[in-house]
Amino acid sequence: MTMTDGIKRRDFLKVLGVSSAGVAASGCSTSEVEKLLPYVVAPEEITPGVSTWYTTVCGSCSAQCGMWVRTREGKAVKVEGNPNHPVSAGGLCSRGHASLQHLYNPDRFAGPMIREGDNLRQGTWAEAEQLLAAKLRAASNVMYIGGNTGPSMNRLIDEFVSAVGGTRVEYDAVSDAALQEAARMAYGSTALPRYDIENARLLVSFGNDFIEYGSSPVAHNKGLSKMSAVDDHQSKGRFVYLGARLSTTGLNADEWIPIVPGTEAAVALGMASVIAGDVSDAGPYADVLRSYTPTTAASVAGVSEDAIRELAERFVADGPTLAMGPGAGANHRGATAAHIAVMILNHVAGNVGRTVHYDAGVTAAASSYADMESAVSAMAAGQVGVAIVHGANPAYTMPSASGFAEAFAQVGFKVSFASAMDETAAMADLIMPDRHFMEAWGDSMPRNGVMAIQQPVMQPVPHFDSKQAGDVLVAVANQLGNGLGSATFYEYLRSGHMEMHDASMGDFETLWADALRTGAVEHDMAMGMATGNAMDLQAPDTALSFDPPPMDSGGDLMLIVHPSPRFGAGEFSNSPWMQELPDPVSKITWHSWLEMNPHTAEQRGIREGDIVSVASGNGSVDVPVWLYPGIREDAVALAMGGGHTDMGRWATGNGVNVMDLLPSESEQVSGAQVTLVTSVTVTPTGERRRIATIEGSSDQHDRPIAPAVALADLGHAEEGDHEDDGHGPLMELQGVGGFVPVDANGGTPEAFPLAGTDHGEYADAHEKPRWSLAIDLDKCTGCSACVTACHSENNVPWVGEDQVLMGRDMNWVRIERYYEHVDATQAGELDVRFLPMMCQHCGNAPCEPVCPVFATYHTPEGVNVQVYNRCVGTRYCANNCPYKVRVFNWYRYTDENVPEPMNWQWNPDVTVRTNGIMEKCSMCIQRIRETENRAALEDGRPINDGEIVTACQQSCPAEAIVFGNIRDPNSRVSQVVSSERTYRVLDELINTQPAVNYLKKVTFHEVTGGHE
Amino acid sequence: MRKHWLIGGFAGVLALSGLAFVQGGGAGADSPTTLSDFQPIAFPHDQHAGSEPGQNNMDCQFCHFSAERSVDAGIPSVSTCWGCHQAIPGTNNPQEVAKIKDYLDAGEPIPWVRIYKIADHAHFPHMRHINAGLQCQECHGEVQTMGVLEPQRTGLPAVFLGQDRVWGGDNMGWCIDCHRQPNEDGVQQASTDCSVCHY
Repeated sequence: MTMTDGIKRRDFLKVLGVSSAGVAASGCSTSEVEKLLPYVVAPEEITPGVSTWYTTVCGSCSAQCGMWVRTREGKAVKVEGNPNHPVSAGGLCSRGHASLQHLYNPDRFAGPMIREGDNLRQGTWAEAEQLLAAKLRAASNVMYIGGNTGPSMNRLIDEFVSAVGGTRVEYDAVSDAALQEAARMAYGSTALPRYDIENARLLVSFGNDFIEYGSSPVAHNKGLSKMSAVDDHQSKGRFVYLGARLSTTGLNADEWIPIVPGTEAAVALGMASVIAGDVSDAGPYADVLRSYTPTTAASVAGVSEDAIRELAERFVADGPTLAMGPGAGANHRGATAAHIAVMILNHVAGNVGRTVHYDAGVTAAASSYADMESAVSAMAAGQVGVAIVHGANPAYTMPSASGFAEAFAQVGFKVSFASAMDETAAMADLIMPDRHFMEAWGDSMPRNGVMAIQQPVMQPVPHFDSKQAGDVLVAVANQLGNGLGSATFYEYLRSGHMEMHDASMGDFETLWADALRTGAVEHDMAMGMATGNAMDLQAPDTALSFDPPPMDSGGDLMLIVHPSPRFGAGEFSNSPWMQELPDPVSKITWHSWLEMNPHTAEQRGIREGDIVSVASGNGSVDVPVWLYPGIREDAVALAMGGGHTDMGRWATGNGVNVMDLLPSESEQVSGAQVTLVTSVTVTPTGERRRIATIEGSSDQHDRPIAPAVALADLGHAEEGDHEDDGHGPLMELQGVGGFVPVDANGGTPEAFPLAGTDHGEYADAHEKPRWSLAIDLDKCTGCSACVTACHSENNVPWVGEDQVLMGRDMNWVRIERYYEHVDATQAGELDVRFLPMMCQHCGNAPCEPVCPVFATYHTPEGVNVQVYNRCVGTRYCANNCPYKVRVFNWYRYTDENVPEPMNWQWNPDVTVRTNGIMEKCSMCIQRIRETENRAALEDGRPINDGEIVTACQQSCPAEAIVFGNIRDPNSRVSQVVSSERTYRVLDELINTQPAVNYLKKVTFHEVTGGHE
Repeated sequence: MRKHWLIGGFAGVLALSGLAFVQGGGAGADSPTTLSDFQPIAFPHDQHAGSEPGQNNMDCQFCHFSAERSVDAGIPSVSTCWGCHQAIPGTNNPQEVAKIKDYLDAGEPIPWVRIYKIADHAHFPHMRHINAGLQCQECHGEVQTMGVLEPQRTGLPAVFLGQDRVWGGDNMGWCIDCHRQPNEDGVQQASTDCSVCHY
């Protein structure tokens, strides 16, 4: 191709150069002037730049953990667990952190919405309340669905409903109804049992996924971690999991007995019959024990009789022990009987009153699905004039087979308190957006004797004209002339507590202020909870069958439906943090997947990523297959929370709704929704997709990444045994241009900085703290709370499914999961290793010498720092990092990805990165700086051990992470690291001298495989 | 033929520069000619903080209250101004003082134009500097002698301004110069570790 008389290339380039220079000369300035806006009237408690913390109660699920909220200039920016809370003791799970994304979600309603034809238009509160009052006045039948958000709110709703002559239907999508009914029947308790996992020597879970849901995931997580810790007698608690599928909870077990779904009762009774020396120990259930022996159990459960006997013997050998019945995600047609069977087991083993308590009055979601079924029938028959839905989304969470949507459409006037669009609100005639729990008052009583107040931590987010549901009910009741005695919900709350208060507890205002400050008061408030005789088994008041319940035969693979640890039953699907949080089991983000055993897949010619049609008698969904050794070969699993059709920009259109596959049915005895009820056919559709996982490999490939040590080998290590022997003296590369080897003197973090490197600010670095982390892998349960805590603290962006597929996820910390021994065919040991992997802050960092602009270097305190404004994005550092913990901003993920007011959540102490910048774990350097500043202001005092807490450390329910100064021999991190279990990842091989120390997981079985 | 290129190129340079020139608001094209053109209220620092006769000699931290305990120095709230000015109409510019009441009544903050700003990727802790004994004037200049603060009048290098980059100079360098100063032990008096400010 020739150029004609036109431009010659050289001339073109000259002109281009001159023009560009001309533009540059006049400067690229912005015509925007930055403003400084003062307060009009400054609030007393806010100092700009200083955080103000409030204590409240998390409203993300029914566990009601204590929460501390950090606010800056009146905006909540971070949530943490409240260490003073008697139940959660400072831990907070991922969904707790994600509540911030509900608070600032741009999909929240702008205000009350009133339906006109097919559209919803925004109205005023006066209009909305008048409309509701008018409809209630005219209606014959009012039905109030849901609303269980605390004892006072519950009472208010009951009073409101009776004032308007209606009925109330409680509804929780994930409900422990079967457990509650079993506790009532067996022990006369009207609440859930309290489990003391910490004190059990042997924990047997019959499919109870207590780390992910239930009455207190955080407390149970902590309990498991404490139970499993090696004590002074060189022993540790053992955890045995019986179930068809390993959840996150199951993956932490020491043994897995993969029983057939539905056979929990048989196995529990089989064990109990071995234990009960005299079957009269089982009281009214003695004849049951005679009929259910280990032989019967083995014949139905798919495990050997010996395994059951042997487990039974261990269950009483070293007490106390604890058995937990099937969890809320595994309700089948015999769920109540299964729970009672486990209760019998606990009873004959002498655990009642020791590790399981029936008089503790634990409250958590336990509503009956059968009530909803009746409600649907009433609605379908046109009997309901006004239906109010509060804190529930039945149009999504109920199976389509329930007919909820069609029935709801028959209701004369439909009201929703949803704060953002969901499938139920989409059908409503009136939407009255509730306040977020961080904007509202409330209370909580997680168990008898613990009363916590939920207080607003900020003014309501101004973008949304919301009103607390309690205030709406009070106002509407007043309009109807049925005043509930208070003008606002706050008044109602306070006066309710004042009434229950008695002088023996001291002055009310003092108690109230204490509750607000500390988070919970020990309060003997009788809330009408019957505890019955908490020690003696009572005869059942209904015929019970302990046989494995019938299952619908929709196909040849049993379908296990379970709540998602990220989305719950789908209420958190519109949180981008939760969408992008790698699922703790599968590490998959954004889309749904079907878990299938690799052998099963191989037999059927199905490969990972094949999209299959999963069909039951009720419906079908198309979903990609993910191969998982942790599930029985005759079962498949699908998590709840996907397939939203109308729930905001991040949830809608993502994944599949497993509820489409289920019948709408409640267990006869308790009314619990049956979710473990049908088998399915799995048919390849011929299509495939790539799985959006962050997982590299689940195999350590014989590398010392996550080694373990057998319990029997502890305490027997010879001098220097665990040191890195046989590799020659460790060397560090130092000097300008890198490359003069220097003996690294044992290679421990305290040894740094090395001789010859102490100049400039490094000269007195031996007096400075050397920051270090210690992570105990025997405590880590893989729950991933730390991942979300880190995202929340450090303004880590989410990138979306497409970018994750390209390997561009932005997790600063990831939980790696390695299968060492997983056998789905027989009872036996289970060995799965979880490893939280973040920047190791290597003393001999491969990333530091290769940065051409010195954007990453090692501080005198031992932190590998990333200076965002220097980074030019060559990405050589990420290339060199052997741990692959550096993540790059390929795009400006923080522009339109983070619409107002989601950006209000950003931590003002952490730079928000733009495109072209590398980032990674900073050891929460902003917290280090904040504490240094505070110490400097307090007469330059030294920093106390434990004063700096990294975000991941703070959130961990298992208390697996410790941060501190390793140069101080008295610091907690130094003491932890002195353990014989301490190691550093890949350090022996590549001499990176990490500042992150790990403690090996302790197994009961001998560890083989060449990497101890 | 080649001349066409030179003319075209030159014209292009002029056009593009002109465009940028106009976009950037010009060099002084928009500079205020009266006291109150720039700031919403012509607040004179000298009248309030100055020590000349007739001036009020107020301490900086009377208004900029959080400087000694926070990263942020703080801007006085409208009610702080009103606290005195409800009784003091002022003698020089009473019409400017009256504007305070207008803002207070409307419940609106006074939209001051920001003068001193350090880039978002640097975290500057005011309280550490106050605690180290620095006077405000060391970095902000002799503010107590200045009338209404406007960019070209402060004449200080250590600022990124919303509108114009004064002197286009090495703003961080100015901070480093002070940090590098040796103290009486001959050691540099403050850290020059990148991560004390950039994180």
